[in-house]
Amino acid sequence: MTYDLTSKTRITLIAGMLVGLLCLAFVWMGDDSFHTRFWGNILHNATFFTGIGLMAAFFMSVSITAWAGWYVAFKRVWEAMSLFLIVGCVLILILGLATFFDLHHLYHWNMEGIAEVGNPNYDRIIAGKAGFLNKGVYLIGSMVLMAIWTFIVIRIRALSIAEEKHGSLNDFSYHYSMRKYAAAFLPLAGFGSAFVVWQWIMSIDAHWYSTMFAWYTGASWFVSMIALTIMILLFLKSQGFYQNVSVEHFHDLGKFLFAFSIFWTYVWFSQYMLIWYANVGEETIYFRERVDNYPALFWINILINFIAPFFILMRNDTKRKMGSLGFVAGLVLVGHWIDFFLMIRPGIRHTAHEALGHGHGHGDAHGGHGHEAAHDVAHGAGHGAHEAAHEVAHHASGLPFELGFTFPGILEFGTFIGFLCLFLYFVLNRVASASLSSDTDPYIQESIHHHT
Amino acid sequence: MSAHISDIREPLINGHKSYHDITEDLVSPTERAPGFGWTVGFILSLTMLAFGLFCIAWTVWHGIGTWNLNRTIGWGWDITNFVWWIGIGHAGTLISAILLLFRQKWRTGVNRAAEAMTIFAVICAALFPGIHVGRAWVVFYFFPYPNTRGPLWPNFNSPLLWDLFAISTYFTVSLLFWYTGLVPDFATVRDRAKGLRRKIYNFLSFGWTGSAKHWQRWESLSLILAGIATPLVLSVHTIVSFDFATSVIPGWHTTIFPPYFVAGAIFSGFAMVLTLMIVTRKLLGLEDYITIAHVESMNKVIVVTGTIVGVAYLTELFIAWYSGYVYEQFAFFNRAVGPYWWSYFGMMFCNVISPQIFWSRKMRRNIAVTFFVSIVINIGMWFERFVIIATTLARDYVPSSWSYYSPTWVEMGIFIGTMGLFMTLYLLFTRVAPVVAIAEVKSILKTAGDQYTGPNKLHHGHGHDDHHSVPAGHGHDSHRGDHLKVVSSNVAAASMAETHEADSSVATTKNDLTKIEGIGPKVAGLLNDANIYSFNQLADTPVSRLSEILAAAGPRYKMQVPESWPEQAGLARDGKWDELEDLQDRLDGGKYV
Amino acid sequence: MAHTKDIVYGLYNDEEDLLRAVKKANEDHLEIMDVYTPFPVHGLDPLIGLSESRLHIAGFIYGAIGTLTAFGGMSWIFTRDWPQIFGGKPHWPVPAFIPITFELTVLFASIGMVVTFYVINGLGPGVVNPTIDLRITDDKFCIAFDKSEVNAGKAESFLRSSGASEVHSKTI
Repeated sequence: MTYDLTSKTRITLIAGMLVGLLCLAFVWMGDDSFHTRFWGNILHNATFFTGIGLMAAFFMSVSITAWAGWYVAFKRVWEAMSLFLIVGCVLILILGLATFFDLHHLYHWNMEGIAEVGNPNYDRIIAGKAGFLNKGVYLIGSMVLMAIWTFIVIRIRALSIAEEKHGSLNDFSYHYSMRKYAAAFLPLAGFGSAFVVWQWIMSIDAHWYSTMFAWYTGASWFVSMIALTIMILLFLKSQGFYQNVSVEHFHDLGKFLFAFSIFWTYVWFSQYMLIWYANVGEETIYFRERVDNYPALFWINILINFIAPFFILMRNDTKRKMGSLGFVAGLVLVGHWIDFFLMIRPGIRHTAHEALGHGHGHGDAHGGHGHEAAHDVAHGAGHGAHEAAHEVAHHASGLPFELGFTFPGILEFGTFIGFLCLFLYFVLNRVASASLSSDTDPYIQESIHHHT
Repeated sequence: MSAHISDIREPLINGHKSYHDITEDLVSPTERAPGFGWTVGFILSLTMLAFGLFCIAWTVWHGIGTWNLNRTIGWGWDITNFVWWIGIGHAGTLISAILLLFRQKWRTGVNRAAEAMTIFAVICAALFPGIHVGRAWVVFYFFPYPNTRGPLWPNFNSPLLWDLFAISTYFTVSLLFWYTGLVPDFATVRDRAKGLRRKIYNFLSFGWTGSAKHWQRWESLSLILAGIATPLVLSVHTIVSFDFATSVIPGWHTTIFPPYFVAGAIFSGFAMVLTLMIVTRKLLGLEDYITIAHVESMNKVIVVTGTIVGVAYLTELFIAWYSGYVYEQFAFFNRAVGPYWWSYFGMMFCNVISPQIFWSRKMRRNIAVTFFVSIVINIGMWFERFVIIATTLARDYVPSSWSYYSPTWVEMGIFIGTMGLFMTLYLLFTRVAPVVAIAEVKSILKTAGDQYTGPNKLHHGHGHDDHHSVPAGHGHDSHRGDHLKVVSSNVAAASMAETHEADSSVATTKNDLTKIEGIGPKVAGLLNDANIYSFNQLADTPVSRLSEILAAAGPRYKMQVPESWPEQAGLARDGKWDELEDLQDRLDGGKYV
Repeated sequence: MAHTKDIVYGLYNDEEDLLRAVKKANEDHLEIMDVYTPFPVHGLDPLIGLSESRLHIAGFIYGAIGTLTAFGGMSWIFTRDWPQIFGGKPHWPVPAFIPITFELTVLFASIGMVVTFYVINGLGPGVVNPTIDLRITDDKFCIAFDKSEVNAGKAESFLRSSGASEVHSKTI
């Protein structure tokens, strides 16, 4: 059976993408001179959705290597989602080139002269990281990894299609080849995901570091991927496809949504608690900033991504009812998008603020917040004091409420819709390009008769 | 449980077992007199334990001064061993809980022994902090209880106290989980026993009857306990890692510690399970239940967790540089090239590099290699804890208090003692309880046993017809896939079964035809249906006849080329396994190249 | 046991024979006293009218008691009974309470459920239940009828006709 991307769906999704474009255009127009909000939206959504594609590929590879059979009935959906890495390549290329050619000021470390002794922008801490945090590594490192991942994903997909066309139930050769690619993908994704998370996201708060951060972001991507899988399957089922994907499969997906929401919370708590407990200034600043200046988002994050899925999905029946499962899936998808918002926006806002401050001379852009004094002190004193003063100036005092930074505005949600529709359009298009399930996958019978 | 099992899966129970065979194989080790190997092992373990007890007594009598700890190095072998043992314990709960939730059937072969290991390892681990507090006789001060000192409560902010709660909870829950699983199996032992033995096992089995309602609740309980044991097992090593990571010691205070400790614990736990199970399966003759497929699955877990640990090591190293924090950078520099470089090297080599050998399927399925690597990993994981604890403490913020730590004979003696304790308990366990979960293995026999190649293939004899129009008996005894033995037909059943006594296939030898390259369980089933059961029969069957059989089975099997099967079967019949392997290396899916 | 029961029971050699027989008994409106098996047989529970176990609900309640005990206890101790400051942490350091709260939740839930399990099943150390057949814990699947509930002759002929390999009567 083959899914047919109807023109109605197509038009809806294209309309969604246009809404996204329109929102981006509006953001561009009302933006600061670096278009920080615009690029912030691009960075936020590009990394969020590319990561979802990566996690689909990762989980598919885990399932193949772990001899899992239950998911095979809808494996095409994961294949299609993992193929989003192709679009991801383009998105990351845009980001990388923009970073390379200084089209935005999202990254503190990308500021001119930041690693040059004597330059007014010189920052001793960031200069120490310059071997890793620089335009070249950002662009080339990310693209090389993306290319390798995309290659493997395309190969797995091609083998899966070939298995269906030329294989038979008793011929495991395609599956064995897929297993090789899947096994190779695991360490590549394991090491590589840490690299991209550090580059794309952790480096926004360039002074700050946390060894847990890559796994934390990975957990966030993973939960979002499961949520989106549930939603895509529900949509396809509502269109009359995937009749063999039963409540049992949804039950399992629900279990994963539940379990990994708890895992995300575990990672969140461990990171937060250890930093809170040790109380080292360089580390606590990250949470201090978010608890003080983003309290609503900070707690919404926990509420949506832990409390809601935990209490709603604790029971078995809520994992088996499409209404409650779909609701939680939608909720946590937005929840983790907000999680990403909270990871990204405070840092880029400060970076832009500082860049504007330097670009427009002192005091122009931010009168009356006590910044001038701090800056003046900073410039008068040595480097150590310079950094300390920066921390004071940029974190503790708090910047005023600003839509799109302090809280996602309507335009941010619009951009999110746009990217989501892009993701769905691409994925559904890929789903439509092959039959919905393969009759020759060795595990297909197990999957169809799957029983939790 | 799905009755549709993919042909790609390897059987997890070999030897064409019937339910009775399983009982027989798994209970009999507890009924036999202990063998020579067991006795030697037990005496050795007891000796080690006795020496350990002596060292503990020595420590308690003379005080902690008998250890080489000093002002900067407050934790040495004691806490290294504590973390090492706790880590080893983790595989038990992981196998029982997480693999149960992930429906990995291979866990049934090893879960019982692994859970026992958990309990014994936790006992060994708990000894160390208990002795290390110095006044071991007032160790109960740890617990919050209304007392005459105020009441003065323990410090609930302290990770060391969290650890006390975590480990007590972990021990209790593991014990309950393990024992509840054992109850039905103790009943099986009881029902075969006589006299005093029967009384003892009746006591142990809590009066289990096998009633359907009991089974239903038992399953429900197992599932929920598994569900809550999963976060529990994560929490335990997480809290152990908090002991270090909440501090501000460079090299300890790092946020990745919780999941990295958990991954390391799983890693070392699986290594220990492999070490023990490879010996156990050999000594107790359990090769049919703990198969190469089990070993391979565990080796996969080893390579995955080993690599995760590798990611964590490199993350730490990288972020130490990235942080720009000189003390952190020094801590890692010191670990790698300082006076304890050998332990850092040992850790990296044993934990990250050595398991990579398991990317090769041949190595994963090689028992000797697996055994060797599992021991290397056990050592490596000990090094990891030593690196984290002693290496880091030996050079703290103040260079004037730097020193080099090496253990005294007392510290080593206590460690040896815990190994003795662990082995003593484990050896006793293999005598008292079935080391493989009987009921659970029975429940997967039809889906994962080697004779069942489809929906009750051999049980129903002819095809997949589930509907029996002739209800009377239908000779199930002789059909239970057990073609090697004549099943002791029950008297009352004899008359009903007689219609099938004539079944010619019953008496013939049956070989595992899937040993032949190109023959999977499905095809083996087809051949069996065509009255080909043994290598001998297959060797004598012309290729044209084989092609006919395959053609008759439908289009699915047209890919199969049986041209080399008789030749292979001939070699197998004559026991020329090496030659067969050579031949198979040259073949491509059973085809001549 | 205070009172004895006269039962008639049949032993089956395979769980599928058992399942078929149970279905047939339902069709014949024969009330089964109990079914005994060497391992949990899937699909059996609904056939003999067992409602889903509610053990998990009990577990949730025990767990909640554990949560409240731990969190409430620590909060009371640190804010009311004996307030102290450790390492500059506030009197009510919520993140520091979470590990112990979690552990006690799990501990209470597990102990509670296991004890409940043994109590409601009437199992425990020293309990001696009558043995119907020693092979039930080995490889036989048993359907038992209480002679006071069903006609013994009818039950016996049912057992024989539904594929039981042995049929016996016994007083337990």
